[in-house]
Amino acid sequence: MKSIRRIVALTHITFIEGIRDRALYGITIVALMMLATNILFTNLFGHELGKIMVDLNLSTISFAGLLLTFFVNINLMSKDIDRQTIYCVLSKPFSRGEYIVGKYLGLLSLMITAIFLLTVCSGGIAWFVKNSVADYFFRTFSWTCYAQAILYIMLMFTMLNAVVIFFSSISTSAFLTVLFSVATYIVGQSIEEVAFFFKGEAVTAGYSSKFNEFLIDSFQYVVPNFSAFDIKTMASHGKLMSMNHTIALIGYTVIYSLLLLFFASHIFKRREFN
Amino acid sequence: MTWVKRFIPLLFLLAGYQILLTNLNTQRSLYLEKDYINLTLPSQFTGPMALEFKGLTSDILLFKFMTFVGSRTDKIATFGEEQWGHINTTLQTITDLDPYFWDAYLFAEMFLALQAGRIKDANHLLQKARKNIPNEWRVPFYIGFNHYYFQKDYKQAAAYFMEASKLPGAQSYLANLAARLTVFTNQHQVGIIFLEEMITETNDNKMKASLEKRLLTLKMMAFLNDKVTLYREKMHTMPKTLNELITAEIISELPQDPYGGEFILLQNGQIYTTSKLLQQ
Repeated sequence: MKSIRRIVALTHITFIEGIRDRALYGITIVALMMLATNILFTNLFGHELGKIMVDLNLSTISFAGLLLTFFVNINLMSKDIDRQTIYCVLSKPFSRGEYIVGKYLGLLSLMITAIFLLTVCSGGIAWFVKNSVADYFFRTFSWTCYAQAILYIMLMFTMLNAVVIFFSSISTSAFLTVLFSVATYIVGQSIEEVAFFFKGEAVTAGYSSKFNEFLIDSFQYVVPNFSAFDIKTMASHGKLMSMNHTIALIGYTVIYSLLLLFFASHIFKRREFN
Repeated sequence: MTWVKRFIPLLFLLAGYQILLTNLNTQRSLYLEKDYINLTLPSQFTGPMALEFKGLTSDILLFKFMTFVGSRTDKIATFGEEQWGHINTTLQTITDLDPYFWDAYLFAEMFLALQAGRIKDANHLLQKARKNIPNEWRVPFYIGFNHYYFQKDYKQAAAYFMEASKLPGAQSYLANLAARLTVFTNQHQVGIIFLEEMITETNDNKMKASLEKRLLTLKMMAFLNDKVTLYREKMHTMPKTLNELITAEIISELPQDPYGGEFILLQNGQIYTTSKLLQQ
């Protein structure tokens, strides 16, 4: 019970610290401006206005989330070590594992708050645009699919923030954490396509081998499959992902994030601060 | 005096900036005017590079396509093989990034089939739509139209029209049309139905005007076709030229081809225009 109380306290502190970060306001303003321009951009198209609007709204939310993760959350993690304030925290009756979990939950609450705020704004814009044109142009629009896509975005950031925590625990500078996290994100977004190519087209063309396939399979176990969270195109056409897919993805996110936190806390326990 | 010393360099810099920006804009306009759609990379590159923003990338590419074609409506007839090739690549990339994007398939039919006569490319894209949007009746309808109007493959056209007629939202006339196509019928009438459908689908005013012009021409050709049939029933012979319709007092004058060409009667009794539906 005491452990949970300590984690909650750390989560709260991290969240408050994040809210005070000026970069957060900058990102929010940019995201809100991007959402506002959707009204203008959507009307430049002739037919599938609903699809365009959903694409733009969801991409803006995702883009803002990426900025927040790479520029605010990583900074929040590394600040303690760079400014040596971590000594104050670790001198309190906190275990290092609790510190990692508390920080992670703090970053996650910040992310969820930001996505929630952007979702409310984008929902308002979607409602406005939808009501300002004929229903014909929004034939495929579905609020359920829209909400599902937002849920998937949140799940992706749950995992990406675990990646950030993991790299923060092993690297000595914020720059390296950004570099590793961005690289993991890019690889994670492409790994599915690469695997698909090596198991399909490359086999047919004869330039794949069993070793390549084994390598890709192993890689898929290690690297998070971020492209599985991208259902923006489906949502923009009013196509709902099955419940089984969603449950499988939630399970994957939880297990992968817990594994990363487990490794992060173990590495962090052995780490020495000079 | 200190502020003057500071102000003069700033003034020079601003003037220089203004001149260079104007020059850059002129150079960019020349470049973009030339052929900026050829910048579209194939989906093998664009797909992985777009990361999780594939839908957004497809929107941007379609917007680029619309800007390129929309600003050149009057010059489309002068487009060469290279430009149509780039347009085809762009539409292929857009539909690879978002295979459900109906607008891209619609533009494939509007431009690749109707404007460029690249029926194979248009059909290839429409077959992709047929696979990804199986409940969209307009997809087999457009493929059927291409088979009928351009490829003169009436059997295949009838099969596609029949397929379209069974899909949700299909126009009631499609089943009848498919049945009638099993025997050779008036091809202008099919074109008229097709264009009327496309006009209701289009929001772009320039494109709408272009389609309406084509529709008007086809209506004139269908009108002349009907009058030739009337002449044959009345005179028990085929007219040698369209002017004989005036002599027989079936029509008072020949309609003017909106494209600037001349309507002529072919030996097989079909109406033809020397403009080939391209602005003269």
